[in-house]
Amino acid sequence: MWERLTNWLEVRIGVDDLVRSQVTEYRVPKNINIFYTLGFVAAVGYLIQVVTGILLLVYYVPHPDHAFRSVQDIMVKVPFGWLFRQMHVMGSNLMIAAILLHMLTVFAMGNYKRPRELTWIGGALLLFVAIAFGFSGYLLPWTQLSYWATTVVTSIPTAVPVVGDFVARLLRGGDQVTGATLSRFFAFHVSILPPLFLILAGVHLFLIKRIGISATPFGLPAEEKRPWTEYHKKSHADGYPYYPRFFQMDMLMVMVYLAVMFLLITFLPNLFFPPDATIPANPLKTPATIRPEWYLLAPYQLLKIIPNKFLGILIQIVLFLLFLFWPFFDTEKEKNIMNRPMLRVLFIFGFILWLILMYWGRS
Amino acid sequence: MKRRSFLKAALAFLGATTAASFVYPLFRFLVPPPRQKKVNSLVIAKRDVPLGDAKEIVFGGIPAIVVNRPGKGLIALSRVCTHLGCLVQYDQENKRLLCPCHAGVYDLEGNIVSGPPPKPLTKLPLKVEGETIVIG
Repeated sequence: MWERLTNWLEVRIGVDDLVRSQVTEYRVPKNINIFYTLGFVAAVGYLIQVVTGILLLVYYVPHPDHAFRSVQDIMVKVPFGWLFRQMHVMGSNLMIAAILLHMLTVFAMGNYKRPRELTWIGGALLLFVAIAFGFSGYLLPWTQLSYWATTVVTSIPTAVPVVGDFVARLLRGGDQVTGATLSRFFAFHVSILPPLFLILAGVHLFLIKRIGISATPFGLPAEEKRPWTEYHKKSHADGYPYYPRFFQMDMLMVMVYLAVMFLLITFLPNLFFPPDATIPANPLKTPATIRPEWYLLAPYQLLKIIPNKFLGILIQIVLFLLFLFWPFFDTEKEKNIMNRPMLRVLFIFGFILWLILMYWGRS
Repeated sequence: MKRRSFLKAALAFLGATTAASFVYPLFRFLVPPPRQKKVNSLVIAKRDVPLGDAKEIVFGGIPAIVVNRPGKGLIALSRVCTHLGCLVQYDQENKRLLCPCHAGVYDLEGNIVSGPPPKPLTKLPLKVEGETIVIG
């Protein structure tokens, strides 16, 4: 019976060939390390977000009069509602952490270099979409924290001359954060961002498949470390097959991801629920402590310490563009960050500065 | 013009027209309705704002505050901080208006004292008519 089924599928879609070319005979570089699994981990993280998000949609009501109540009901009345909401909230933070870590390691290994500039840009845009997911989802429970964090972030464009006010109104659907904003953010969160994420992930994967996985620059002959000037697929004929070796590494890291998620849900369930995240939104009272999620704390703090609003936002835009188009700024041939002291200093300095701003923004 | 070039140009024209005929309605669909310009005035009793005290109100959908300043009289200001839109709170002890989000500080005229706000708070028209205060 099984044989007949596989034969039937073989004739129609060529499963054997697909498995052979993409799994068992697909080669990965010999010096591949555990950090190469982070893209796969982020993809699994996204899948968890999709499944738990669909489940939350069954009970969530996107209306200012009902949103807070419906989320509270999910947490206390719906059987296992707390579990799926916790998975969704923890998952959103962990997915962003996985993408960030993925990009940091790609940066450290110089794997964004020619001809992988577009792969890097695709990854940076995926990070941006993941943050947009987090930001748009933040408003949906309609709490004091979510309301005022959204007010602050949607006010940022007002610093831009001429079009700033218009952009802020477009985001909010009016002058203030209201039910119209909730509707817009809900639509954005559940119907615009998911296909956008999938399209970007598809392009990212296509580029990885077309060019081939980049080997780490550590322990390679000099000519292998240089970026190429002409296209040739990097097939790693002498490498290990993806299955079972690298697949096991992927699955190990997925288990680590899930373990961290359930550890946080079990022992730190309020990690992402400060007191203001449990009070319904009050448009007439700004709480004493307003701060966004950890991944937006650094830009938030930067806005706080730069006295000129326009300058603060301009610096953020410049930093974002620098990050997005970094492969075009770094034209140095050497991939190995260990052989590039200036880049190493820049990397460590930037990372420490980001951590300081994050900690400062939190305190 | 060659037949092929003509067909290319026609296709480009039709494609652009089709795209534009979707983009314009989409833009209009997403732009929020224009602001309502005419706002009715708001009347509150003078006794509701004792000397040195303040009263929070909502005027034309905007959170505002009426402050009774010792020696300077009444003033009505928008509570929306000009930095990033949080609502300022009245600090009676220090005679200041404070923004809790990014520590913007304004005096009771709405002028910036410290912090990142780029502009003073918006003043609202206010007049006293007998025992009532009319805002707007």
